[in-house]
Amino acid sequence: MVSTLGMALRYRPLTGVSSKVSKANALFNPEWTTVRFRYHADKVAKGPVPRRHGYEEKLFQGGLLPRTAFPDRALPIPTYKPKNSWNEKRALFGQNDYIDILGPSNEISQKPLHPTQLLYHVPPWLRGVQGNEYQVLLRRRKFVQKKGYALGHPTKWATLNTRIKKLYRYLNHKTKSPFWKDA
Amino acid sequence: MATKIINKTVTELSLRITRCFFVPSKAIQTNAALFQERSETSITNVEEQLLPTIRPPLPIIYSRKLAFPPKFKAVRQAWVSNMDTVEEEKLGLIDLHPEVFAERPRVDIIHENVRWQQLYRHVSYANTKVRYEVRGGGRKPRPQKGSGRSRHGSIRSPIWRGGGIVHGPRSPTPYFYMLSFNARLNGLRSTLSAKLAQDDLHIVDSLDIPTDDPSYLEKLVEERGWGPAVLFVDDNDIMPLNITAASDVHGHYNLMPVYGLNVHSMLKHHTLVLTLAAVERIEERLLFHLNRNDAAEAGRKHRLDSL
Repeated sequence: MVSTLGMALRYRPLTGVSSKVSKANALFNPEWTTVRFRYHADKVAKGPVPRRHGYEEKLFQGGLLPRTAFPDRALPIPTYKPKNSWNEKRALFGQNDYIDILGPSNEISQKPLHPTQLLYHVPPWLRGVQGNEYQVLLRRRKFVQKKGYALGHPTKWATLNTRIKKLYRYLNHKTKSPFWKDA
Repeated sequence: MATKIINKTVTELSLRITRCFFVPSKAIQTNAALFQERSETSITNVEEQLLPTIRPPLPIIYSRKLAFPPKFKAVRQAWVSNMDTVEEEKLGLIDLHPEVFAERPRVDIIHENVRWQQLYRHVSYANTKVRYEVRGGGRKPRPQKGSGRSRHGSIRSPIWRGGGIVHGPRSPTPYFYMLSFNARLNGLRSTLSAKLAQDDLHIVDSLDIPTDDPSYLEKLVEERGWGPAVLFVDDNDIMPLNITAASDVHGHYNLMPVYGLNVHSMLKHHTLVLTLAAVERIEERLLFHLNRNDAAEAGRKHRLDSL
């Protein structure tokens, strides 16, 4: 569009002018003024105004579902098998946890037992152990060393020792002692 | 089949240790001489009529001596039923010690106990590799300067895809901790009290049933309104054959010795059925621990490798 701004500065007579008002006169003309005829309220009254223009909704909003190549079969889905709440393991869970209370105490024929002695499914070096990774690894090394772990699992033995060294350095040089918060 | 049944109820523990205890018969007053002797063999044919149980005049069990007589709490009483017939026959009324069966149930302590039981044996085997454990990544991918790309020292650094995980789970992580002795003791007391107060605790003379047919047990439980899941507790860990066979079919009827009793099982099963012998043993054990004079030793923190 050719700018007619330069022409606006020229005076135009009011009479004898064509019905099409030039762009230049549209800038300022005392004979007419702009009137608002479009209101946002009318648009809203017609219906919901769309938001997020340009946004593509990824969720299914309605319409035809996708069709598969095989119309007779359902889509493959694993068969749901509800868990058996009353299989032996679940039904008797927690049995013998109170053996030190309800079991024999200092009787002559039987020794008192502690629940940590009944943790058969936990590795022997981990029974009754409470600690962070560093403490657990040190204990594991102590137990496993005697059984010739270095000969049977050389890579794992090396990884174990490396991890212990790294954790020692990290915990002692990079982190504050756990007793600091009490100080 | 016999070994399979036995393995269900006899734990490894029972194979190592001998019978847990012997119930002193003097504690329970019974008209034992008047009992008619019944044969121990099971009747497998259901169509055969069950032998009618001839009983001496009721009540058979009418008194029980309580150890550490309660001073400040009223004694509780409970019926003693039978297991011989489907219909319930009350054989007598016995006293229960209030310190064991009438302790105000502490829900927070019960919750602590259940949480402890679930967690203390849990070991997490989840594991992630650290940067120096992931295969590869020893060489510098490209020279420090000149390529115009970012600088890196290893392709297995944590910022790389496929690289090591920095603070991920490290196997095995134990979640072991020991709840204090008294918290566990009070957990047992609270749960037993709650069970009695809510009518979920029943006492029977013994677990001898006439047949090993599972339907007998079903009918019995249905007739008496004993909840879908029932936990039968006896003092001995080797249970009578009939009830072992009958409950083997159903996972929700379980047999347990007294030393196996625990808060989780008591809450999991709707109804708790104790034999007289089991009641004696439970009371004896709990009252012993409540009244012992070396309680500090028992309540001491468990030290690793001390056993």
